[in-house]
Amino acid sequence: MGHGHYIAPPAGQYQVKAGEKLELQFVVLPGESRDIELGIDLVGPGAEAHIKALYLCRADEKVNFRIVMHHRAAGCKSTQLINGIAGGQAQVHFDGTIVVAPDAQQTEAYQENHNIVLTPEAKVETKPQLEIYADDVKCSHGATVGQLNPDELFYMRSRGIPEAEARMLQMLSFLSPVIPAGREEEMEAAVRSL
Amino acid sequence: MSEDKKIIQQFTSGEYKEGFVTDVEQEFIPKGLNEEIVRLISARKEEPEWLLEFRLDALRKWQAMPQPHWAHLDMPEIDFQDIIYFAAPKKDKDRPKEIDPKLAETFDKLGIPLQERDVLAGVVAVDAVFDSVSVTTTFRKTLAEKGIIFCSFSEAVKEHPDLVRKYLASVVPASDNYFAALNSAVFSDGSFCYIPKGVRCPMELSSYFRINAKGTGQFERTLIVADEDSYVSYMEGCTAPMRDEQQLHAAVVEIVVEKGADVKYSTVQNWYPGDADGKGGILNLVTKRGICKGDGSHLSWTQVETGSAITWKYPSTILKGDYSSSEFYSVAVTNNHQQADTGTKMIHLGRGTRSRIVSKGISAGVSQNSYRGLVRMGKNAQNARNYSQCDSLLIGSRCGAHTFPDIQSQNPSATVEHEATTSKISEDQLFYCNQRGIGPEDAVGLIVNGYAREVLSRLPMEFAVEAQKLLQVSLEGSVG
Repeated sequence: MGHGHYIAPPAGQYQVKAGEKLELQFVVLPGESRDIELGIDLVGPGAEAHIKALYLCRADEKVNFRIVMHHRAAGCKSTQLINGIAGGQAQVHFDGTIVVAPDAQQTEAYQENHNIVLTPEAKVETKPQLEIYADDVKCSHGATVGQLNPDELFYMRSRGIPEAEARMLQMLSFLSPVIPAGREEEMEAAVRSL
Repeated sequence: MSEDKKIIQQFTSGEYKEGFVTDVEQEFIPKGLNEEIVRLISARKEEPEWLLEFRLDALRKWQAMPQPHWAHLDMPEIDFQDIIYFAAPKKDKDRPKEIDPKLAETFDKLGIPLQERDVLAGVVAVDAVFDSVSVTTTFRKTLAEKGIIFCSFSEAVKEHPDLVRKYLASVVPASDNYFAALNSAVFSDGSFCYIPKGVRCPMELSSYFRINAKGTGQFERTLIVADEDSYVSYMEGCTAPMRDEQQLHAAVVEIVVEKGADVKYSTVQNWYPGDADGKGGILNLVTKRGICKGDGSHLSWTQVETGSAITWKYPSTILKGDYSSSEFYSVAVTNNHQQADTGTKMIHLGRGTRSRIVSKGISAGVSQNSYRGLVRMGKNAQNARNYSQCDSLLIGSRCGAHTFPDIQSQNPSATVEHEATTSKISEDQLFYCNQRGIGPEDAVGLIVNGYAREVLSRLPMEFAVEAQKLLQVSLEGSVG
């Protein structure tokens, strides 16, 4: 396994060699409980890995992400963007670690996990972690857990957009950075079902 | 580049100025930890029965617990039977009311005035703890006029047993964790502070902890109670002699903040960090926790951590009262072989509670510096809000910087934001300063101080100057 572009890829171990580029995209639709466990080793100089994932929960789904991004060589780049919406009594758990080995200088590693909680019964736990043993690095992570912005909702409603439609638009725009190309309509239908 | 390296070297190899030993006659109890030792400590301090029971109960709990290993630390095996749990300077029988001049001299050397004279130097009331006992507490009378109780823990047990009994272990129960249980069993002295309803404490209160004796550990306990609508600013400082052996410091700090009260707790931790090869130093294993019990209460933690071979410390707040708020501002510097695993916990229980975390880690040499934090939004934390920012600065290619946040949300109206970055002092920044005539060492100092400014500016004035200097000294010789 090495380079390529996967949509709905198998979870598991990936090794990315010098100059190769790995792109993974995960979509977890309402009603699906998934455990996504990923171990990605960037072993050659200049290797790249990019992960995008989205999840939508409306009932009692359990979605777990466990991602370890290991930068073992110099000059590698990785990005991770995981956005999702939790409704119903869903339980979402995100556990992501970026490890930068002592000799992996000139590393660039970014990780983001954003969550929207719709109901009081839904539970979100996020643990973005950085373990860095090299100094010439640019690493950052960010995580948020929140709700749909009431100001945005008000803005749209004051311009005649019905509440349900406005909420759907908000959720779609929240997800848009991680929606796979060509699957926009399917996602819209999924969001409407929440 | 090699020039830079040299400068960094010089910059991070500063000496530990507080590393001297005071030659004073001391009494010790035998080494080891068992029921008899606990009874001995309790008898030595003439404690009431309930406190002895509390200690024995904690000891039994401690004996049943395993030592935790989840922290990102390479912790040496601690032989708890090889530690002296109580050491006190002998009192001169002829003048028991006065402080031993040698002790006064020690604290003077450390810049802690034990006489109530330095009015111009900023008025600070000090409780000075030397090994296992409190040496003196200044400005007690002035404070008593306002109804404020500020004294050593032992005195508080004798003079205000009801207050101590009511609040002791109400925030950190004896069974909370391994080191809190150990402390509960053998704690020696510490500070007690009670601010009555509606009183604004007129001066900064401060505790100063000094480890002096060899082969001992320090186990102090601090209890701060701020009654309704009161205000207090509390500072804590500490140092220890330079030794090849590692010494244990396991303290517990409990803070109770009632309705509408405001507490500001600042720490400048400067225990002996060990030498450049990682020999010796203090193992700083501390449990600090406050509870914002009443509505609208506020607790603010500020810490500057530069010392200790190993730091294991998570000052936390339980936000129970509605619309209560808390902040955590931290600068943690590690150099040489130091290891730090520090951060905070914000437990949001009440409605509209707010918290803010700003953590700045700086690692140099071959040190490891970790931020570990927990933000929990409980079911009833309607509209609760948290913002966390954790930045790491790496100086040199052999150190490590880590971030381990944990965010748990059970409320759809709560908002949590966390962001973290890791970077180094870039050659561009150094070049820019050099080009304008700022020497490399000053440039690093400037950059680090700028980086930590947001936290340093929160310190009380008396501490801020010291902290800035300390940052510079701690990093001496690390530029590269």
